[in-house]
Amino acid sequence: MKLSGLKSVENAHDDSIWACAWVPATENRPALLLTGSLDETVRLWRPDALETFWPSPSTGHCLGVVSVAAHPSGAVAASASLDSFVRVFHVDTNATIGTLEAPPSGVWGMQFDPKGNLLAVAGGSSASVKLWNTSTFELVATLAIPHSEQPRPGDKSGGGGGKFALSVAWSADGRRLACGSMDGTIAVFDVARAKLLHQLEGHFMPVRSLVYSPLDSRVLFSASDDSCVHMYDAEGKSLVSAMSGHASWVLSVDASPDGAAIATGSSDRTVKLWDLGMRAAVQTMSNHGDLVWGVAFRPPGGAGVRAGRLASVSDDKSISLYDYS
Amino acid sequence: MVTRVHIPVQNSAEEVEVALDQLPRDASDILDILKAEQAPLDIWLIIAREYFKQGKIEQFRQILEEGSSPEIDEYYADVKYERIAILNALAAFHTYLARCERSRKDEHFRTATQYYNRASRIDKDEPSTYIGKGQLCLAKREFSQAGEYFNIVLGGDQKNVSALVGQACVEFNRGELIYGEASRVHYLESLNFYKRALQAYPHCPAVVRFGIGLCRYKLGQFEKARQAFQRVLQLDPENVDALVAIGIMELHTSEADGIRKGMEKMMKAFEIYPYCGMALNYLANHFFFTGQHFLVEQLTETALAVCNHRLMKSHSYYNLARSYHSKGDFEKAGRYYMASVKEIEKPQEFVLPFYGLGQVQLKLGDFRSSLSNFEKVLEVYPENCETLKAVGHIYVQLGQHEKALETLRKASRIDPKDAQAFLEVGELLMSTDAGASLESLKTAQNLLKRKHEEVPIELLNDIGVLYFERGDFELADQTFKEALGKGVWQLVMDGKVGSSSMDLGAFIVQYRDMKLFHQLEKDGISLDLPWDKVTTLFNYARLLEELHHAEKASIMYRLILFKYPDYLDAYLRLAALSKARNDIQQSFDLIADALKVNDKCPNTLSLLGNLELKSDDWVKAKDTFRAAKDATDGKDSYTTLLLGNWNYFAALRSEKRGPKLEATHLEKAKELFTKVLVLRPGNLYAANGAGIILAEKGHFDVSKDIFTQVQEAASGSIFVQIPDVWINLAHVYFAQGHFALAVKMYQNCLRKYYYNTDTQVLLYLARTHYEAEQWQDCKKTLLRAIHLAPSNYTLRFDAGVAMQKFSASTLQKAKRSADEIRSTVAELKNAVRVFSHLSAASSYHSHGFDEKKIETHVEYCKHLLDAAKVHCEVAEREEQQTRQRLEAARQATLAEEARRKAEEQKKFQLERRKQEDELKKVMEQEEHFERVKEQWKTTGSTPASKRKDRSVLEDEEGGNGDRKRRRGGKRKRKEKRQKKRYEDEEDDMEDEHEEVDARENRGRENAQDHLLAAGLEDSDAEDDMAETISSISRRRRAWSESEDDQPSGRRPAASPADERENSAGLDDSDAEIDDEPKSNRRRRSGGNVFDDDEED
Repeated sequence: MKLSGLKSVENAHDDSIWACAWVPATENRPALLLTGSLDETVRLWRPDALETFWPSPSTGHCLGVVSVAAHPSGAVAASASLDSFVRVFHVDTNATIGTLEAPPSGVWGMQFDPKGNLLAVAGGSSASVKLWNTSTFELVATLAIPHSEQPRPGDKSGGGGGKFALSVAWSADGRRLACGSMDGTIAVFDVARAKLLHQLEGHFMPVRSLVYSPLDSRVLFSASDDSCVHMYDAEGKSLVSAMSGHASWVLSVDASPDGAAIATGSSDRTVKLWDLGMRAAVQTMSNHGDLVWGVAFRPPGGAGVRAGRLASVSDDKSISLYDYS
Repeated sequence: MVTRVHIPVQNSAEEVEVALDQLPRDASDILDILKAEQAPLDIWLIIAREYFKQGKIEQFRQILEEGSSPEIDEYYADVKYERIAILNALAAFHTYLARCERSRKDEHFRTATQYYNRASRIDKDEPSTYIGKGQLCLAKREFSQAGEYFNIVLGGDQKNVSALVGQACVEFNRGELIYGEASRVHYLESLNFYKRALQAYPHCPAVVRFGIGLCRYKLGQFEKARQAFQRVLQLDPENVDALVAIGIMELHTSEADGIRKGMEKMMKAFEIYPYCGMALNYLANHFFFTGQHFLVEQLTETALAVCNHRLMKSHSYYNLARSYHSKGDFEKAGRYYMASVKEIEKPQEFVLPFYGLGQVQLKLGDFRSSLSNFEKVLEVYPENCETLKAVGHIYVQLGQHEKALETLRKASRIDPKDAQAFLEVGELLMSTDAGASLESLKTAQNLLKRKHEEVPIELLNDIGVLYFERGDFELADQTFKEALGKGVWQLVMDGKVGSSSMDLGAFIVQYRDMKLFHQLEKDGISLDLPWDKVTTLFNYARLLEELHHAEKASIMYRLILFKYPDYLDAYLRLAALSKARNDIQQSFDLIADALKVNDKCPNTLSLLGNLELKSDDWVKAKDTFRAAKDATDGKDSYTTLLLGNWNYFAALRSEKRGPKLEATHLEKAKELFTKVLVLRPGNLYAANGAGIILAEKGHFDVSKDIFTQVQEAASGSIFVQIPDVWINLAHVYFAQGHFALAVKMYQNCLRKYYYNTDTQVLLYLARTHYEAEQWQDCKKTLLRAIHLAPSNYTLRFDAGVAMQKFSASTLQKAKRSADEIRSTVAELKNAVRVFSHLSAASSYHSHGFDEKKIETHVEYCKHLLDAAKVHCEVAEREEQQTRQRLEAARQATLAEEARRKAEEQKKFQLERRKQEDELKKVMEQEEHFERVKEQWKTTGSTPASKRKDRSVLEDEEGGNGDRKRRRGGKRKRKEKRQKKRYEDEEDDMEDEHEEVDARENRGRENAQDHLLAAGLEDSDAEDDMAETISSISRRRRAWSESEDDQPSGRRPAASPADERENSAGLDDSDAEIDDEPKSNRRRRSGGNVFDDDEED
């Protein structure tokens, strides 16, 4: 289990890169890397050389792109910016399909469900996850996170115990949806019944990134500002393990397709690879010079592409690509 | 040998035979005979001597006293020699008595002197009298006088054995009186006299040979000395002195065999004569080493009883003292050492009791006396390592680090293989020179390893700590692990406990949960944690924290608490860990646990206070800080600093800033900071605090100096990190208008200390950009901040304001392209969106903004948007016009060209026609002249009319333009009015914004609390560490001390808030200035400019 650097692109964007996601391969092309930046553009990159795929970057966002997500089919992707708009577009042509907005809800983390029917969007201050139908792009459901019964001491995030939804993750079987909040709690929803199952405790600082294990739909990983990655039994509502090692906030977490490892990006400027067997960091990459906002493993699939890839993006405007083996 | 004497019977040839071994018990019988028969005096003497030999002292005395009575004197007046002999014998007897009976010494000496004087009166040249006098002087220790007497004798007779022996004795004693080389001269001299005596009288008593032996011994010729002693024993196998002497020499070989033989000799001597002090002392010494303390005491007590010699007594006391010392009875040991020391005139004579006394006094904590005793040892043995170490140790205790260091360094130089000395040097240097300390400790470690001795855990702990401090975490890790050895903690380190293989669930983050340990115990895993490893384990946990393995560290701390539930620091670390994870409730609970152990511990109270601050419980926090301060009698700078900070915050906190209250709080804060600075002039945090207060009062230059110095001072250590001072410096630059410098400073600070994650500093940065009118930078900075702190609505509001401001300023620019205006429009739309989101969000999130105000902003932005649209249209139209104009111009030139061409053509035609016509005209010149002229005129009129047309068109266009312009102007005016209103509003808004800022500041202070919290943890950590029982605490204390100021420093960090307020204040005044001369603003505002524009 190891990472080795393949390629880095300096100044891939004109400003900090805040988000990245892999667009699965289609029949015509391999998997592509989608990145979003404070420079208000979204760009698409062809591995492993990281050449730009589109003739010119997509525009149309204001105030910085905070998250990007790709449909499992690989044909469609979405990007969201601080102005609370979600833009949905055709990957190959960069043609806009639609613009989603659910005011006054903000937009933070986004993810398409594994089957590709729904797009889940963490609604920030609305304390809810918005579910959009991916064929009609209509708002089909709002999964609300209830207020905490009693505000915790020292909790200053917007008063009254109201949650601030920051991150979302679908379980591999598509039955569960987890949503991380500013106050560190993680709400787990039964999607079919649109019902909150329970909230996972353990973090007391913002949970900025979540990912389910691709192998086990019970296992959920969370990245938090408390510089820990937690591993939960999301069904049993219990904390399984806490992995510490980052020196600062953990901004992003992703699970490897083989389910044996996770990667994390942190504001301590490093990317770490964690062996889930040992539950310990086995490798630390320090090639970025600023906060690492996103890490993403390339999904398997595509013609003859078997090698594992991990991409990371950073405030230093660069993208790095690693071989994962 | 005379076995019998014959006393001649007076006036007859008969004799009375007296058997010397059958002398009557009553001396009177003999005396009667002697007197009656008028026996010669030598017979008196023989009989008296015989009595003496038989130990019948009284009879001896009786005879001699009778023999020296006046009547005898008279009777034997001409028998000089015998009379002298009798007197001398008596005198010698008294000299002997003087030696034995100390109490009546002087009396005996007097008597002896009287007898000698009488002898001298009989014959002043009698050598034996001089010898006797010499002996008397020897006994009185008047050596030079004695020497003179003996010399007189030797002057007469070179070979007088008694005189020679006497002289030898004198020299020997002189040798004893002084030390070093000089004494050798005397011993040599003494040896010579003994040799001469032996030559003069080869059969002299063994004592002469014994004397030779002693001299040889003193001269260091041990083999010859031994030969001499053995010769004595050959002559007199029961000679106790020789036995003892050989015994001593055997013992000093320090070999098992020698010691055994020596002891045999001693035992023999003891059997022969049980009252020999020397033998007793040596036996006692031996039994001390064999541990038979009972015998030691008995023997030494006997020795003390029988012996009067100072040094012997001293030895005896020493033996006793040592015996008690080894039994741990320091009180008694001290007393006997003292007694021993009292017998000694100079430490050179016998130095060991000084050492012993020093040790006991050290043990009893009487450092000064101990030091003086050890110093006496050093007078004799200036290079004695043990003593040097002891002295060094005492200096450490007395706080005289310089001297301690010097002494210990000397010790380590003298014996470069003494691990102990290096260890002490290392420990001593820990607080002052970590590098040298580490070197020294490592040397100690290596020495011990080479000798295959166990390296003490304290030493490893210290080395580990030094590596830790130096930032060598890898080496620190190894060292701590080596120190800890085997134990349950290995399981934790290897991740076998606490992370995997065990389903621990909430245990991981529930720091008060001990169930893991119960489980482990149930599983039969030993949780043994020896007390001497606790400190190291604690330090190791600190290291784990530093390496960001908070979970493992927490398990270590809990293990400590599981075994030692009173280990306060572990609670505090756990509380700090909880706090870092923002689990405030748990942190409170842990502190409550710690308070149960000790409710007066200032560290605990300080942490509690900071927690209370963090949860916004100001009043409580102040009480807690006060309690902490009281707990340290106000001596602890940290708590004082905390109070100072509290006051500082309090000054800026109140919503309606009462200037009076503010001033009092500031004054109080200043007072507290100054107090700390007086106590510890090197306290960076107090200096920082003082700098803040100065800045608060507007003394920017002074405060800048202070901050710069603090910054420089703090840049040395990895453990002293004061980001606050960077921020404060930046604030000062900001307040002085050096925006570029301020920006640099903020950015460096963010990067260096906060991993670019601190939104508060980003906000400062944004504000600086705002003031510098760098709108795009300002906006970007705010967007970054929003991304980092999504739920912070203040940031969004600020971003909205920045965009609004940007747009307004673009619209006011003298020259702007349509593109610029288009981007302005986009920005305005964003601003509107941001504001409307805010107002929408307020329905379910209270974020402290007045909805009305947001409305106003939205209104204003929309208005600007409208205006911008107009501008946009204008600009676009203008562009179009320009395009048109260009087109027209192009067409005009084309037309011109065509016309020119046409004209040329015409001209050419005309020319041709003219030529043709001329031909014709030549023919009909005069007749058609008028007609031809007319024709010319008509052809020329076409271009003219065309020109006229064009001008009309132009006029028309111009009119249009004018009209439009007029219309535009009207609207502009209206707009100007409106704009003015809005600008006023804007000003208001700005003010409001300031208010918001103020409010924000509150929030920010909270954020500051975070900072402070962070600071505090560190401090706790260090403080915590400082609290250990063992000697380690000393070391660690040093470490902690340097840091313990830290937290407070962080606190001032809070200051940024105020500084910002400061700047806010400046803003206000700005706004006021703007309000007053409206012209000012108008100059900047767009209206005029627009008009100019149009006129162009």
